[in-house]
Amino acid sequence: MKNLLSASSQNMPRFGPALLQFLVLGLFLLFAVRLWYLQIHLGPVFTEKSRNNQLRIEYLFAPRGFLRDRNGELLAVNEPAFALGLVREDCDDIPATLAEVAKLSGIPVERLKEVYARNKPKVKSFEPLVLVPDMNFETIAKVEGAVVRWPGLEILSRTRRKYNYGHLLSHVLGYVSEASEAEMQADPTLSLGDFMGKQGLENRLDARLRGTKGKRLIEVDVTGRRLSEEQQGAPKAGEEIFLSLDLSLQQLGHKLLDGKSGAVVVMDPDTGEIHALVSEPSYDSNMFTNGLSSAQWAELRDDPLHPLQNRATQSVYPPGSVFKLVMAAAALHYGAIDPKETVTCTGELALGNHVFRCWKHTGHGVVNLQRALVESCDVYFYKLGMRLGVDRMSEFAKAAGFGSPTGIDLPHEKGGLIASREWKLKRFGVRWTKGEDLNMAIGQGYTVTSPLQVARFVAALINGGKLLKPTLIRGEPTDIEGRLPLTDDQAAIIKRAMVSTVEDPHGTAHRVLTPGVVVGAKTGSAQVVHLTEELRRMGDNVPLKYRDHAWMAAFGEQGGKRYVIVALVEHGLHGASGAGPVVKAMLDALFMGKRELPPKDLEGAERPVDVPARLDTVEPQFPEPPTADIPQGAPAQ
Amino acid sequence: MSPIDRRMFYHVNWRLVGVLAALFAIGVLNLYSASGVRLGDGLQVENFYQKQLVWGAIGVAGMAAFMAFDYRRLHAVAWPLYCVTLVFLLAVPIMGKTVMGARRWLDFGVFSFQPSELAKFTVLLLGARLLSVSSERLTLKELGTVLGLGLLPTLLIIKQPDLGTGMLVFLLLGGLILYRGIVPWLFRTLCVLLPVVTPLFWFVLKDYQKRRILAFLDPATDPLGSGYHILQSEIAVGSGRIFGKGFLAGTQSQLRFLPEKHTDFAVAVFGEEWGFVGMIVILSLFCAYLYQIAAVARDAKDPYGSYLAAGVFFYFFWQILINMGMVMGLMPVVGVPLPFVSYGGSATLVNFCLVGLVLNVSMRRYLFKQT
Repeated sequence: MKNLLSASSQNMPRFGPALLQFLVLGLFLLFAVRLWYLQIHLGPVFTEKSRNNQLRIEYLFAPRGFLRDRNGELLAVNEPAFALGLVREDCDDIPATLAEVAKLSGIPVERLKEVYARNKPKVKSFEPLVLVPDMNFETIAKVEGAVVRWPGLEILSRTRRKYNYGHLLSHVLGYVSEASEAEMQADPTLSLGDFMGKQGLENRLDARLRGTKGKRLIEVDVTGRRLSEEQQGAPKAGEEIFLSLDLSLQQLGHKLLDGKSGAVVVMDPDTGEIHALVSEPSYDSNMFTNGLSSAQWAELRDDPLHPLQNRATQSVYPPGSVFKLVMAAAALHYGAIDPKETVTCTGELALGNHVFRCWKHTGHGVVNLQRALVESCDVYFYKLGMRLGVDRMSEFAKAAGFGSPTGIDLPHEKGGLIASREWKLKRFGVRWTKGEDLNMAIGQGYTVTSPLQVARFVAALINGGKLLKPTLIRGEPTDIEGRLPLTDDQAAIIKRAMVSTVEDPHGTAHRVLTPGVVVGAKTGSAQVVHLTEELRRMGDNVPLKYRDHAWMAAFGEQGGKRYVIVALVEHGLHGASGAGPVVKAMLDALFMGKRELPPKDLEGAERPVDVPARLDTVEPQFPEPPTADIPQGAPAQ
Repeated sequence: MSPIDRRMFYHVNWRLVGVLAALFAIGVLNLYSASGVRLGDGLQVENFYQKQLVWGAIGVAGMAAFMAFDYRRLHAVAWPLYCVTLVFLLAVPIMGKTVMGARRWLDFGVFSFQPSELAKFTVLLLGARLLSVSSERLTLKELGTVLGLGLLPTLLIIKQPDLGTGMLVFLLLGGLILYRGIVPWLFRTLCVLLPVVTPLFWFVLKDYQKRRILAFLDPATDPLGSGYHILQSEIAVGSGRIFGKGFLAGTQSQLRFLPEKHTDFAVAVFGEEWGFVGMIVILSLFCAYLYQIAAVARDAKDPYGSYLAAGVFFYFFWQILINMGMVMGLMPVVGVPLPFVSYGGSATLVNFCLVGLVLNVSMRRYLFKQT
């Protein structure tokens, strides 16, 4: 034992014990420093990362605000829509399930595979991937039986915008559809599958209609499964908005223009509220919410009648004789004429080597301002145009609101054109000629205006000179954009002339005479093309596309109520016969109570079975409005 | 001398036992939280902590058994045990049981065990025996002999594949070699040579092992694999900040963002829930634990006992360094558990037995003075 002990003691390790203690110290220092770095120095960074792991924010859908007409009739609502989704986690055999869905829905299986592949990265395995965004009732019935046998298939209910009168209001309401990739990028509150207003009021009022999404904080585990939820702000439904439109007037206008192309505007001259804004032909707003196929879109876009065009605001036409109201006002404003001063109309006026004709070839004889307006004498206005000259005509027309958009809450409004010397020189490189003064005075030449601009001008004539910003929303304060440079007395002269145009048996607008109502009007017919002698000889039988556009600008007053009505019928030939019946029916409806509500359309209408191509692939671009040929040197009625 | 002398009870190193008890208690407490999974509102706790307690009890019995005999008797066991271990290790590829892609277990019907666990003892006993014969620094020849004997079981284990255990066995031996010392010129040569030779092992590594190392060097290369493990572990520890998120309140662990949370990454759960303060406490306990073992090695009455204690020291030291280093993003992901904190039945048993061995050495240090 002793031997062993002494031998052992000599062999005790010499460096080891110190090494071990050094290692313990090193271990402590290394990890203490590292822990300080991770938990104290970088603590806030990792805390944030841990929160990002744990919490997801989900936005709760806010129902889009309803749109109603001025009497409360529902125009745009939300309705349930049914989609077919696939939860990957629960599905045993995805190819077979897709084939079954193809059979049930009639959608080609390749299309479904494409939809599946595109959305797979965006949808979690336990969340439904939408295969058929909108099913018709027939498909729903078939699918309901199948979901039991095919695990993973799920019928999802969503809401979809529905327009109760899709055809009557499409140009005003526009439509909503799913936000595109670019729109989602521009607006961070939008997310995949959200609807947004793309056209019309749906677009302009989008912020008010859309409401505020609710926010929900969701605690998830590593697989993304929800563990708990905390509501942070409830969804706030979009605002319900009462439009100034009157559904019965819209319906009437739609009926009156049925089969024609044209526009009707009914405006309250005191508030600027639009009671009717009709444009025909129209389209059905519901087509867009359901998703539009490329073929449907191409058909709408390439339709020669341009149904997408809002003819009241996006189309501009030569105003024809309706413009004589503006010119008469200009002459009074500049003191270029005395209202009592007379001109003798012989049916024509020679200027240089060109003869300018009056529409009434036999002439009107001796006419003063009032007579010239009532009978729409061209020769009187030729002389008036010579006296005013382009500079003053142009200046006054612009002050009266022409040549620039009215500012109505609709996208893509056109401002029309009021020509000037500078404009012509720039545009054509040619100087303004004297003859063009004459054409301008009768509303021909380069001048083009929208029906809405004419309505606003007539409103200003009878409301004390206020140029209002037309509004489509009921009861909101009126913006006054400017004032007509005209005294009340001067306005009264023109107003009187308009009333005479209706009341005088020789007046061009006599047919809109309405008992018990003070009605004033001015007709116009705007040349589409410079008529050849041959066409001229055909009189009223010229082919439709060469016929003049028919205008009538009118107002009616009864008791405290007054309205401005402007009607334009493309190729309607004569103002009185083409546009007159439209104005007359409107007057009857407004003052004589002759109105009825339309039946809701789309009731039971067939929805597309086909999965439509996503709208963002065929983003509608409104075509340029048909620019009317600029007729020159021709008389107007 | 009877194997259990009453006087020896008073010589038991109670400080080491105390630190061990504290570590094991913290480990079980932490396992309770690390076994929890939140699926809905409530916490669903799996029973790993109970199993660990049972293994702890078995471990205490094993520890007592390892204290009961005079450690010097192990001197004679070293070689026979070495041969048996090699036989078992060779048997594993032939008749072993495949669990999760690795063949590590030998099935004896009644019980099954991993020969690699046995190899830890074998290398410890043989290393202590071979190295304790002299206090002179190792020469090239001696070093070659010791390394050669150690490499044989190491390579067999790595082949299973079990890189973690193989490495651990080899590092244990390496630690013992350093404990003895190497002649200066050889030491300097090794210092130069090792960094050159080590990269050659790259070609021995399996693909998944290579990926782990690459992910450690650049977590972005494998953000969903082991790079993800390291990142989530760092997030767990880092987000604990100073005082932690509170017991059972760690989101990284309860919501399962942290992988392997009751085994290799268990201490990350602790770091998340108890923060910097808790981590310093557990780190201090580990250092006290290692220090106590180092003190036993220093105060042992004979070189063999000293080397046995030093071998156990390195066994624990490397595991703590590698595991905590991995959890804190200082090391690549290697399957090395943290003693007493990570869940593991046979590892717990082995750990307790090894502590028993150290206590054995410790309580017999006065033996010869009194006789």
